[in-house]
Amino acid sequence: MAAATDIQTVNIIVNGIELAVPKGELVVEAVKRLGLEIPIFCYHPRLKPVGMCRMCLVETGMKNPQDGTIRMMPKPAAACTLPVSEGLVINTESDALKKDRKGVLEFLLINHPLDCPICDRGGECPLQNNTLFYGPATSRFIEQKRHNVKAYPLSDYVTLDLERCIQCARCIRFTEEISGDSQLAFRFRGNKTHPITFNETKFTSKFSGNVIEICPVGALTNRKYRFRARPWDLQTSEAVCLNCSNGCNIWFDHRAGKVVRINARTNEAINEEWTCDKGKFGHDYYNDEKRLETPFARTGDELQKADYATVYAKLLEAFHGDNTGMILGDSLSNETYITAQNFFTGQLGSHNIDYRFSANQAKGASTVDNSIASLELAKTTLVFGTHLADDLPIVFLRVRKGWFNQGTQVILATDRSDEVSEFAAHTLVYKPGTEATIAKAFAGQVSVADAAAKCGISEPELQAAITAAAGATVITTTSLNHEAAEVLKALDGNFNAYPTGANERGAQLALACDGLSALEQLKKAANGELSALWVVGVDLFSVGLPREEVIRALENVDFLAVQDSRRTETFYYASVALPMTLPAEQDGSYTNCEGTTQQMKAIIPPVGQAKPAWRVFEELSIRVNPRMPFSQASEILASAPAFA
Amino acid sequence: MAILDKIVKPMIAGLGITSKRLGHSRPTVMYPEDKREQFPRTRWRHVLTRHDDGLEKCIGCSLCAGACPARCIYVDAGENTEENRLSPGERHAVRYEINMLRCIFCGYCQDACPTGAIVLRKDFELANYDREEFIFTKEMLLEPALSERSK
Repeated sequence: MAAATDIQTVNIIVNGIELAVPKGELVVEAVKRLGLEIPIFCYHPRLKPVGMCRMCLVETGMKNPQDGTIRMMPKPAAACTLPVSEGLVINTESDALKKDRKGVLEFLLINHPLDCPICDRGGECPLQNNTLFYGPATSRFIEQKRHNVKAYPLSDYVTLDLERCIQCARCIRFTEEISGDSQLAFRFRGNKTHPITFNETKFTSKFSGNVIEICPVGALTNRKYRFRARPWDLQTSEAVCLNCSNGCNIWFDHRAGKVVRINARTNEAINEEWTCDKGKFGHDYYNDEKRLETPFARTGDELQKADYATVYAKLLEAFHGDNTGMILGDSLSNETYITAQNFFTGQLGSHNIDYRFSANQAKGASTVDNSIASLELAKTTLVFGTHLADDLPIVFLRVRKGWFNQGTQVILATDRSDEVSEFAAHTLVYKPGTEATIAKAFAGQVSVADAAAKCGISEPELQAAITAAAGATVITTTSLNHEAAEVLKALDGNFNAYPTGANERGAQLALACDGLSALEQLKKAANGELSALWVVGVDLFSVGLPREEVIRALENVDFLAVQDSRRTETFYYASVALPMTLPAEQDGSYTNCEGTTQQMKAIIPPVGQAKPAWRVFEELSIRVNPRMPFSQASEILASAPAFA
Repeated sequence: MAILDKIVKPMIAGLGITSKRLGHSRPTVMYPEDKREQFPRTRWRHVLTRHDDGLEKCIGCSLCAGACPARCIYVDAGENTEENRLSPGERHAVRYEINMLRCIFCGYCQDACPTGAIVLRKDFELANYDREEFIFTKEMLLEPALSERSK
């Protein structure tokens, strides 16, 4: 970043106030420095200006440098497309402008249906707000309004209402400039112009939820939130998305203790103001009807409701020594990992406490040299062995932003082409399982010809990519082949093995992992060598292991304790089960892939008798060894040196 | 004489007033058998009205809940389908509840309603024995359809 003194400024006059602003800044941004607001629809600070809606009209003029006289232009200009220049004079308030704004709004409202009472945007709608502040009180338009398709399901997540559209092209520009899938475009001309996917195909973007939020009217609405609530019915709280390791900041909108929708919360260091669809639409598990509400204990063949005391007694009887194991999910809070480690190793004396289901996941904190925000400044980026848009969606947006704005050269090496290959300078699609060979080719440890032959890539392509990748910032995940990761780590550039589990980073930091890994524990359990197994916050059937192996492990372990928020498939094998709260129901902290630890407060009440996992470990711990337990999540985090 | 002045005369005067009043109409009504006619703009119990064709006027927009100073209205909306059409347009109320213990009968909900669905009418007999009974549900608030009213 350039130092503040390097920025060239120009002198402008806004409403009679002289102001020095960076050269080339748009007028609509420059006036914000005075606390002024220009009404806008199509302008969006993160998108390129187009000047389509004409809402941001301002009066402009030039100051004569010789005699200081001001000559105003005869007609207003759009503030969103006008960069500031030396001597520019701007008026944002005048009677003529008031009339202009009224006129623009009257035109926009001619074909707008005014079905605000049933529109999901009603109450938080820029068109409503601007009409209230700048618009006419009544309409002179008495003719029939344009009628068009209403409530068209554009995808599983997005509903399109063409009558409400004001053709600002924000959604179109988002798909072109930010998400890069370019799925939306204008069709037809004049009065009939409307945004739609090509040939009305399904809108399959992985970031489609963002167009709902940037739409200045209710043309694009959330299908999952459709008619669920109005903005004034909702309570909203700051939260962190825990559906992947990016740790996007979100607004958690809830009503009567139920999550209703998720919106992005601006955090320039992580997600800017975007979310991915997995995060925005993937919080249904809070309202899942399979939520576990009470403790369960097995009597014969049946799992029956029990109380905590009974289950605690059974747990303490079954778990002691190194013949027992605990498997933790990778999306639990830091507090859970810290207390679990202290309790299971310190009190019960077993070192088999782990979260790793893949042999590739190394012990300890993986190397992460780049923060998410710094990725957009990289000159060359090597994306290796990961499908960024799926594994790390916000990292994907940053990499793409770097390419789009700074011209970052992106090299992709992966087992199938994906969203990154759309803009990558070099795409290498290798045969699955040959990661190590191709990594060695990048490090010069094997000849390019051999590697090309083995990986199924043409030799010149590989050679060109290797030449281009010199000193590149490597982006990969912790599940990358261990050998390949070691080779890439030794390369010149920065190396980032981002964890993909929501709080895998926290698990890396908090858990010692000096016993059997989760995978090894399951193998041992399958052979009947493990007397008791404790599974916390993970469904073993959804971690990508073969079903038969999981079933064999669960059936051959003498005592299985399951602690989860839902009645997962694993739950039905349990000897005892404990209900667990979800992140929004408990205080806790989570560490995202770049290592930022973010706090989350309890937002909604816990379901049934569910307790935070750390509280269960603390309650058990004082039964083994009486002491003053931790009563708050913050005390636990403060006690752990790894998170200091 | 004193007896005449102090006792008999006032008695006769009092009876005179009584006999004069006997001819007047009675202001007291025999509630609950008789009920006094309410003023035209009286605001008492809410009613959810219907269109003439029997469809509900309420579209579940929750503007009443937004306007309510006592926050005593709860609205849950749903989408109309061809099979299940409760109101004209896309949206209807699935749940519409008013907590009458909280309601201050200000009538802001009636003002806010864009379709004139919620109105405060003259039924003032809202006492009850059970607190739960004061949650008026949509079924209780909704006026019967015209076809059912004639029965």
